[in-house]
Amino acid sequence: MTDVEMKPAEAKASDEKKKEEPKPAPISPVAEIKINVALIDRAVSTLEPRFTHRVLRTLTALRKRVDDSVLRDAIVDIYPKDNPVHKALLSWLPSAPASSDQSMEVDSSTKPSQPELVPEAEMYLRLLILQHLLKSEDTQEKALELANETVEKMQSLNRRSMDAIAAKIWYAVDRAYELAGELSDARPLFLAAQRTASLRSDEEAHAALINCLLRSYITYNLYDQADKLVSKTTFPPSASNSQFARYHYYLGRIRAVQLNYSEAHTNLQQAIRRAPPPKTAPGFYQAVHKYFVVVELLMGDIPDRTLFRHVVLEKALTAYFEIVKAVRTGSLDNFQATLQKHAAQFEEDNTYTLIIRLRQNVIKTGIRRLSLSYSRISLRDICVKLNLDSEEDAEYIVGKAIRDGVIEGRIVHEKGWMECGTQKNGYGPEVSEVFGRRIAFCLDLHNQSVKAMRYPLNAHRKELAAAEGAREREKELAKEIQDGDLDDEDLGPDF
Amino acid sequence: MASQLKTLYEELGRAFYSKPTDLKKCSLLLPKLKLGLIEAGLLLPQSDVNLGDLVVARDILEVGAFVSIRTRDVPSFDRYFSQLQTFYTDYGESLPPSKREYPIRGLNLIRLLTQNRIADFHTTLESIDSDIINDNPFIRHPVNLERWLMEGSYSKVWNAREEAPAEEYKFFVDSLMGTIRNEIASCEEAAYESLPLKDAATLLFFTNQSELLTFAQKRGWQVDLSSSTITFKRTGEEKMEIPKQRLIAASLAYARELEQIV
Repeated sequence: MTDVEMKPAEAKASDEKKKEEPKPAPISPVAEIKINVALIDRAVSTLEPRFTHRVLRTLTALRKRVDDSVLRDAIVDIYPKDNPVHKALLSWLPSAPASSDQSMEVDSSTKPSQPELVPEAEMYLRLLILQHLLKSEDTQEKALELANETVEKMQSLNRRSMDAIAAKIWYAVDRAYELAGELSDARPLFLAAQRTASLRSDEEAHAALINCLLRSYITYNLYDQADKLVSKTTFPPSASNSQFARYHYYLGRIRAVQLNYSEAHTNLQQAIRRAPPPKTAPGFYQAVHKYFVVVELLMGDIPDRTLFRHVVLEKALTAYFEIVKAVRTGSLDNFQATLQKHAAQFEEDNTYTLIIRLRQNVIKTGIRRLSLSYSRISLRDICVKLNLDSEEDAEYIVGKAIRDGVIEGRIVHEKGWMECGTQKNGYGPEVSEVFGRRIAFCLDLHNQSVKAMRYPLNAHRKELAAAEGAREREKELAKEIQDGDLDDEDLGPDF
Repeated sequence: MASQLKTLYEELGRAFYSKPTDLKKCSLLLPKLKLGLIEAGLLLPQSDVNLGDLVVARDILEVGAFVSIRTRDVPSFDRYFSQLQTFYTDYGESLPPSKREYPIRGLNLIRLLTQNRIADFHTTLESIDSDIINDNPFIRHPVNLERWLMEGSYSKVWNAREEAPAEEYKFFVDSLMGTIRNEIASCEEAAYESLPLKDAATLLFFTNQSELLTFAQKRGWQVDLSSSTITFKRTGEEKMEIPKQRLIAASLAYARELEQIV
């Protein structure tokens, strides 16, 4: 998933520039950071995590606009010079080239001496610095150092109001370890943190940590351990959508390796549905779809053709499209050739072993096509048409296909041919089952959205007051009409 | 390392490499060695241990795995294998590679295959590099077997049984053949109405008729000796039934949900 994180940034960069120009001067990143810190402060003091979430939502957009000087200015503006945090944070950034204008800013900001800022604000700034350091290769080592220090600090502070930020920090820490190539060394740290998060019912960090661990296991192909982790933990239901999308993606991959394709399919579908829109995170969207296509093929379905015309997916899925074509025609030769041609890409995507398993599906599709077009066909012809090695093999393969319910029919051994039976009609209990599943999904969606609605506290009071006022006015109006001292022009042209 | 452990280890080496292998002596020595390893803290090595000691420990466990295969003790092989995994994965980079690693991994794959644990088979396979899967004969063998089994090319599996890359692989051949026969039999039940005895024997890889007859009896096939054919009982046409219970439950659930919405 390395490319998953990187690609969006690249793809967006050009977009961003185009968008930025016509806009009537967006607020400067320094100002935005300052506003965000104020919001975090408010969130902590009013115990409303909503504000923190609002801040974190802007994180991805902000990350792209942040650079050394922006961060430096923000820190200088927010923390007075004698504050220890000020020095600690600045030490992670290269020193400023021009010190004259910097000192001026310090002067201006120290005047309205702020009260002590909450530690959450510091963590937020640390997160920004960490993400900034991770962006370029030269500073990655530094990022790892900062990550370790931040984790220590975070754990010693142990504040519930920090949870949302902590989740983001954990993700950045994971990234720092991965870029340093020490992902497996970080596992004990993450496992311990996951336990703590679970005990403190710190659900956001818990979700983030489970995903980090799964990612670490899957990168090293330790599907067994990953599966055990999944079965021993419960993914917090209140986790954010993006965490859920990731979790479903990893789960889908595990299940696909375990040959549990229907479950893998459901999980990958969930991942697609919960993922951010394709244009904002094309990398994730592409990665999930690669697996989705392969799993769908393994289930014996053929993915929708429109999928391969999607703007974001078209280029990334070319190789997969060719595989789909080969499977659809049921030609083993074609399949092998395509597999050879794109082997390098499949290995890079980690789908190679899954695609190799498709071989039997190719054969099955071939047999199914034959059974549809012939009512009786000799085993020799099957052998020739499907490129099988021997008639003997063909007999076993057809026998297996009949037993597995791929085709209806039977083999007449003495004559050496296969007789095909009639197709089942499409109506039956399965139809109601499919409908049932869809209805259940819609109902669940409805219930979830009802649950997700927010009612701001005391908001109805205002409305009540407004209604009360309106009634008062109406009464007055009525009284005035009764009294008859209302001028005609006041009533407007309708009268 | 304790000197006692060393002498035991040397003794094990002598017993294992002598021809023919002195299995009895090996199985006597192994429990003692394992105790020794535990005392030296090498069975489940913690962070700081001598690399040379680790190699010895790995060697002992590998011999143990082979011995348990030769004495046909599969659960014991299973235990040795899980103990060896620490050495193969966690210490894989610091230890010199063992030439027995892939034979043992391959054996483990075959074991999973014969026990029909296909999901575990694939999970285990996933942890092996794809180059090794393609090139290493010890791994390629079980991988090919699995592919043929899934496809239904049973004759290829049958022909490959003699091509096992190591002596120990043959131990699993018998049980693998049992699995295949059952697979073929269930296919035949579905795919044929009747089959001459002779052809059934070739399809099931039986060399004489009496074996076939006992097998047919076990599966409950009707054998007509006069015309020498086997007739398979057709599993009666699937009856279409309306799943009343489920439909009622679904309708009630919809009613309840709608009630909540309106």
